[in-house]
Amino acid sequence: MRGYLGQLSAIVWKDLVVELRTKERILSMGGFTVLVGVLFNYGLDRSVVRPQDLAAGWIWVTIVFTGVLGLGRTFEMERSEGALRGVLMSPVPRDAIFLAKVLSNFVLTMLAAILVFAIFGLFFDLSFGSHPLVLLAVVATGTLGFTSLGTLYSGVTAGTTMGDTLLPILVFPLLVPMVIYGVTATAGLFAGLPVSEVSGNLRMLMAFALITTFAGAGLFRFIVEE
Amino acid sequence: MGTSGPSGAVLDARDLVREFGVFRAVDGISFQLGSGEVLAVFGPNGAGKTSLLRLLSGELLPTEGSVRIDGDLLSRADQSWRLNLGVLSHDSFLYNHLTAEENLRFYGRLFGLADVSERVQSRLEEVGLWKRRDSRVRTFSRGMRQRLALARALLHDPRVVFLDEPYTGLDAHAAALLNEVLESLKDGDRTVVLVTHNLSKGLMLADRVAIQVRGRFEHLGPRSGVPDNGFEHFYREVVESVEVPA
Amino acid sequence: MQLGRIGISAAILGGLGVLGTLFLHWMVFFWVPTEATMGIVQRIFYIHVPSAWVAFLAFGIVALAGAVYLWLGDERLDQTALAAAEGGMIFTTIVLITGPLWAVIAWGTYWTWEPRLTLTLLLWFIYLGYFLVRRTTENPQAAKRFAAVVGIVGAVNIPLIHVSVLWFRSLHPQPVVLKAEGPTLHPDMLLTLMVGLLSFTLLFLGIFLLRFGVARMEYEIAYREARGAPSPAPSGSPASPAAPSSPPSAGPEAAPSE
Repeated sequence: MRGYLGQLSAIVWKDLVVELRTKERILSMGGFTVLVGVLFNYGLDRSVVRPQDLAAGWIWVTIVFTGVLGLGRTFEMERSEGALRGVLMSPVPRDAIFLAKVLSNFVLTMLAAILVFAIFGLFFDLSFGSHPLVLLAVVATGTLGFTSLGTLYSGVTAGTTMGDTLLPILVFPLLVPMVIYGVTATAGLFAGLPVSEVSGNLRMLMAFALITTFAGAGLFRFIVEE
Repeated sequence: MGTSGPSGAVLDARDLVREFGVFRAVDGISFQLGSGEVLAVFGPNGAGKTSLLRLLSGELLPTEGSVRIDGDLLSRADQSWRLNLGVLSHDSFLYNHLTAEENLRFYGRLFGLADVSERVQSRLEEVGLWKRRDSRVRTFSRGMRQRLALARALLHDPRVVFLDEPYTGLDAHAAALLNEVLESLKDGDRTVVLVTHNLSKGLMLADRVAIQVRGRFEHLGPRSGVPDNGFEHFYREVVESVEVPA
Repeated sequence: MQLGRIGISAAILGGLGVLGTLFLHWMVFFWVPTEATMGIVQRIFYIHVPSAWVAFLAFGIVALAGAVYLWLGDERLDQTALAAAEGGMIFTTIVLITGPLWAVIAWGTYWTWEPRLTLTLLLWFIYLGYFLVRRTTENPQAAKRFAAVVGIVGAVNIPLIHVSVLWFRSLHPQPVVLKAEGPTLHPDMLLTLMVGLLSFTLLFLGIFLLRFGVARMEYEIAYREARGAPSPAPSGSPASPAAPSSPPSAGPEAAPSE
């Protein structure tokens, strides 16, 4: 078990160090988020609709769009010098490789998600309700499931001629539960509903995260091994 | 460690067959190598040399037949055999944005090595890159990358080393440097399989020579049995006996 | 090379399916009583519901065959999944055409977020992803594994998608009350529905087997081109000793990018 975690953390560390040095994904996801906020501002007549009423949906859709932008490049650095082959030739269990990739993608996507909340809160003067930790749990759980799905499928799209452009078509249909439960819980928390009102949603998000993470961990080896 | 298979061979390939859909890339190859032996596999493009190497290194599983390294069957169930083999390919398997040392430390952790620091230092010194340990790999020349890739392949001190076209893209100087390091492999008791279409470089290292055409070994014999200056002619005869030149 | 047993089975099942479907249309247009509240448009239901059943049945086969393919690696399992996916895509499309046709007359709008219709729309996109992955993956062997993974992951997520769209519907009731087709169906209507389910299932099995047979033949042709000899695996057609064996020397330089 210690060996497993050591190998897993080595991959997470490597991914995050490379990302910190290149900043490719951080910059594109961050810039994308801010600019989407700006565009939304002009896509809205404030004399007719209050941003607060639409915010939860906007936020989740933006998390999905910016997330897909970053997830599509999961295996970019692994391919340039055949590095993934080197990793696969080491005695690291294949599910550990997958979970490590999910974790480093999760860190990145969570950063983007928090930025989405911050930017939308700032631009549209939102109130996030009185349970920030529950809100964080909702966002983190949804993001985890999303990240697992995106990580697995970016392994698929990396081997196709369509590349990242195929990723949304594969991932979006399966994100319906995440968006439904995530948006409803977020809107409820924004409106000041008690935590008991959203705990059911949180459980469904956990089910989504569990299904996608386990499926990904089990199936990843069929993506990368022949 | 050290417990050899029933045949006493370090590397034991039996009746290897590998199919990709309808295409049969490797079509019944068997051979055994003892400790310290170097086998060079030559062959034209599309002969299935790379597929053979990927079978031997466990990257592919055979459709039929088996590979054993030190008596351990290469399978997906127990993967401890991976500790006994290293691969140097024409791809370096390195991360451009990590330094030389970080790359080796990363692989050291993947292999679960206890004494990573010492190993990294001695490997980097062997390939002459210790002074450049803190430089990122993307600043390296092709030759330096290939030497670092060799250090990576040998980091965990594998008993068997596979070399897949290691000279690709190297200039004469870099190739000579690489050869020096490869020569030192022979001094240890490492078993080496080298796949290349560079006849002269391959012959320099080999104890045994195989010529692979259309997925089969059409020739397998000791280096000493190969005519030194007439090898190219011999090679062409073997290949053309099977394959009509285009 | 002939389709052999597979072709005969496909013809029988497909033929029965076509006959059943013709009979179903006679029942729908001339025999079954008109539903009192929804009126004549309700008759499309006898096409719509059986198509939906077949669409999901097919997807079950895709996921199951894909999973066993990943496990055993037998090409026939991949061909099974492919054949089921293509058949399933046809019936999913029929659901998506008949649903809005019904909706525009019953509810005055082409699209409502009716949960089962929504689920079918998502299923259609999962099938689309499945075919895109098959077509655009560079390594032909990887394409089969990737497609299997897409089929399995889609299938394990479908129950959760179903629950979530139902739940969303319960939160946001639509202006038009949807009467679920409960157990109070008139016996004649139930019989018509049963005939529809049976005929469409047979029709699907016919299409499925036919496509499977074609996939087998494509494989056999590719095999003979690559090896210059018939494939040793049972190809589904009864062993015909008269099968012409192409000259063994005629092997092309076929080398996949491995």
